[in-house]
Amino acid sequence: MPRASKRKSDPVRSSEPAPKRATAKEVERIDNFFASYANTSIGMIDPEGVEKLCSDLRVEHTDVRILMLAWKMNAKKQGYFTQDEWRTGLKSLHADTLKKLKKELPELEKEVAKQNNFEDFYCYSFRYCLTEDKQKSLDIESVCMLLDLVLGRQFPLQVDSFVEYLKIQKEYKVINMDQWTNFFRFCQEIEFPDLQNYDACQAWPLILDNFVDWLREKLTAA
Amino acid sequence: MKKAKSQAVACSLDSKNGIKQHHFDDATTNSSVDPFSMIEDHAETDVVDSDSARASSSGGFTANLARKKAIPPQPAKKLVIKLLKAKPTLPTNFEENTWAVLKSAISAIFLKQPDFCDLEKLYQAVNDLCLHKMGGNLYQRIEKECESHISATLQSLVGQSEDLVVFLSLVETTWQDFCDQLLMIRGIALYLDRTYVKQTTNVRSLWDMGLQLFRKHLSIASEVEHKTVFGLLKMIESERSFPDVNLSFSVICATVLGEAVDRTLLNHLLKMFTALGIYSESFEKPFLDCTSEFYAAEGVKYMQQSDVSDYLKHVEVRLHEEHDRCVLYLDASTRKPLLATAERQLLERHIAAILEKARGIFSLMNLFLPVHSAIFFRQVLTFATTGSRALSSYIRRTGQSIVTDEEKDKDMVFSLLEFKASLDAIWEDSFSKNEAFCNTIKEAFEHLINIRQNRPAELIAKFLDEKLRAGNKGTSEEELEGTLDKVLVLFRFIQGKDVFEAFYKKDLAKRLLLGKSASIDAEKSMISKLKTECGSQFTNKLEGMYWPTYPLMDVRLPHELNVYQDIFKEFYLSKYSGRRLMWQNSLGHCVLKAEFPKGKKELAVSLFQTVVLMLFNDAQKLSFQDIKDATCIEDKELRRTLQSLACGKVRVLQKNPKGREVDDNDSFMFNDVFTAPLYRIKVNAIQLKETVEENTSTTERVFQDRQYQVDAAIVRIMKTRKVLSHTLLITELFQQLKFPIKPSDLKKRIESLIDREYLERDRNNPQIYNYLA
Repeated sequence: MPRASKRKSDPVRSSEPAPKRATAKEVERIDNFFASYANTSIGMIDPEGVEKLCSDLRVEHTDVRILMLAWKMNAKKQGYFTQDEWRTGLKSLHADTLKKLKKELPELEKEVAKQNNFEDFYCYSFRYCLTEDKQKSLDIESVCMLLDLVLGRQFPLQVDSFVEYLKIQKEYKVINMDQWTNFFRFCQEIEFPDLQNYDACQAWPLILDNFVDWLREKLTAA
Repeated sequence: MKKAKSQAVACSLDSKNGIKQHHFDDATTNSSVDPFSMIEDHAETDVVDSDSARASSSGGFTANLARKKAIPPQPAKKLVIKLLKAKPTLPTNFEENTWAVLKSAISAIFLKQPDFCDLEKLYQAVNDLCLHKMGGNLYQRIEKECESHISATLQSLVGQSEDLVVFLSLVETTWQDFCDQLLMIRGIALYLDRTYVKQTTNVRSLWDMGLQLFRKHLSIASEVEHKTVFGLLKMIESERSFPDVNLSFSVICATVLGEAVDRTLLNHLLKMFTALGIYSESFEKPFLDCTSEFYAAEGVKYMQQSDVSDYLKHVEVRLHEEHDRCVLYLDASTRKPLLATAERQLLERHIAAILEKARGIFSLMNLFLPVHSAIFFRQVLTFATTGSRALSSYIRRTGQSIVTDEEKDKDMVFSLLEFKASLDAIWEDSFSKNEAFCNTIKEAFEHLINIRQNRPAELIAKFLDEKLRAGNKGTSEEELEGTLDKVLVLFRFIQGKDVFEAFYKKDLAKRLLLGKSASIDAEKSMISKLKTECGSQFTNKLEGMYWPTYPLMDVRLPHELNVYQDIFKEFYLSKYSGRRLMWQNSLGHCVLKAEFPKGKKELAVSLFQTVVLMLFNDAQKLSFQDIKDATCIEDKELRRTLQSLACGKVRVLQKNPKGREVDDNDSFMFNDVFTAPLYRIKVNAIQLKETVEENTSTTERVFQDRQYQVDAAIVRIMKTRKVLSHTLLITELFQQLKFPIKPSDLKKRIESLIDREYLERDRNNPQIYNYLA
């Protein structure tokens, strides 16, 4: 029987010292910025607005930087930004105009890439995709895309391999948070592609055990 | 003036024959002088020369007294005894001269010259030298002298005689002579042995010294040593090559190069090796190698050309031979390695092939039983670890083929029981209930029975079901008990006992419900046996009448029956509230009173049969379709029912057209010419066989149940421990769970529990789980 889900409290973003309190002027500009994209009937920036924002920023809306932005805002709902979220994010980025925001994007990337932030970002991105209420797992196809987006640059070999495997295997139709997080740990800890230090007797999720078996078979067959 | 006479009293210390008179012929000879105190009248000492010594030596003191008699007796004077002032010195070259005597004696001994010095004299010589602290020199000189002779003797053997036997005899003689000679020399120098040697550390006794010299020079003349060893080995080999010869203590007449093989010769030479301390290095090692080679070749040859029982008999003979060999001439220390080598080559290497050749269990039995000295043979096999390994693999292979042959599933249990019985017979008879073999059999059985998961457990349950059902004519109670016990033995080996439990319970319930048990006592006995095996938990539910699920078979009951059903339902529900009443129509039975023209009968029939028959109360003839519509019985079941009524032995209905199968267009009639000898007739309903679906569903139920058990165990463990590492959790689970399960399955359950938030992985250490309250 399922127990009441306990959402863990959100981690503290401790990457920078607490931002100086934004001046009133800045806040006003941020709000105006928000208003230019928001859907007035719901009081949030909706997917359409996000798309517009992206094109203005000259960034694909599937670009990982948008995801990073969402992370910075700690946005809850995929495709939507509330005013509070917007304020939080842009204040900490010190970006109150489009131009400034665009300039901040590379900084944002660097920030996310930092060791202690990246893991957080990685987990956040999974949660961000759980769009349905009480949804706990993500379908394989989405997982593959997300992996590529989030880890593709850092661990291309592992991601490509795993994505290939996920598409072939039949046992799992969805991936849950536990498996998601452990894949990142896998990329960090396990030597690739020789997999020498992988031990199936340890607490790796079963899907990774199967993945490693499949890889090893492929290697010997090659 | 009286001359003080110092007398050179040649008193040898151990002149056992009394005081002997020693004649010293020349002045150059030594006289042993005792530092005796001299009786003197005057404090004057005079060295008495040998002449006077001679003169006065005869008679000794008496001579003195004689002289004294000439002197008128003096008044008793005080006799003062004074020590000699100066130590009497030895004559010059004392040592050299004495040694020369000894040397020539030793030489003579070695050269076997008969005439040499008087033994006593020699003995005295040694004695003298020792007394004068010349023992060390003497020892060395003796050693040197012996060495030169020994070396010469052994060198003389080099290049002697091509003929091995002759050569060996020569060696034997040489050795024999040497021993005698050394003994003699030792006898002469006994005093040296007893005093100097004993008192000086690191000095060997003369005997040992001699042996060591012999050994040293034997190895120098290495050709001699090797030739000897070679000769010995050749003799032994030729003896082995004629195995049919009568083994007796007397000389064996096996031809080696045309000569007779002398066992005494072998014996003596081997004793020589032992005495020299070179037995194991120089002889035993090459001997064992030789033996190994010999039996390796023989083993292979005989395995190819003889059948297994002959081979084993031959092996036994050979082992006896080797045993005797140790008694007759080999050193006792060789026995163990020798037998081990022979065993290894003749048996260990071929055990697998031997057992392989034994086609079928029974020929294997016949193989082991006729071997006469079962003790001997058994010992051999017991010590050969490959023996038990090979036996184990044999059992596994045979057993595996029984277990995994799906076609023969019906006979699996029976075959396994037979197999086990035959193995037990072998174990009892040929191996005298040896424990190691018992364990081998047990382990192998446990392995093979669990190769195929679940099916053997199911089949054992089925087998028991058959045995416990009525209709097993000719099985006495004791036989049944015996069979139950044997089956229980098999049951013990099974790891997934819960599968057995599920099937057994189902079948038991069926038996009890349908009254098909052969004997309630047997059922009770079986349950109590299971209780002893698995604990009361296993059988609790059994005893409480566990209710199985059967496929629900719907049927439209005739009005009368409905009424009865309702009455009962009312009664039951009034008595027990909160229970659901499910009519198991497939299991009901009835007794119908039927009026046939030829006589009234009572028919014991199943519920479905009843329903069908009662339709004929209102109609004479009915088609299959009619019956189907009226009764709403499921098609397959209906056909079976109609078959039992119209096509079997007891035909209460007639089918048109006649035939065994029930087709759609058939029609049925009340059989008005029905007749039967008995009043009450049982019409056998063709029993609904347990369908394949039922089977799989039962098995699945067990697996599902197992999952719950695993989950419960994980939660239970984590609740207690709060924090636990992955490996420890897995270990705990294996200890607690009574059925076999893979670690990957355990991982699945753990992940499921993480998903349901019963546990979490620790943030800092991914190998650790935390319990979530």
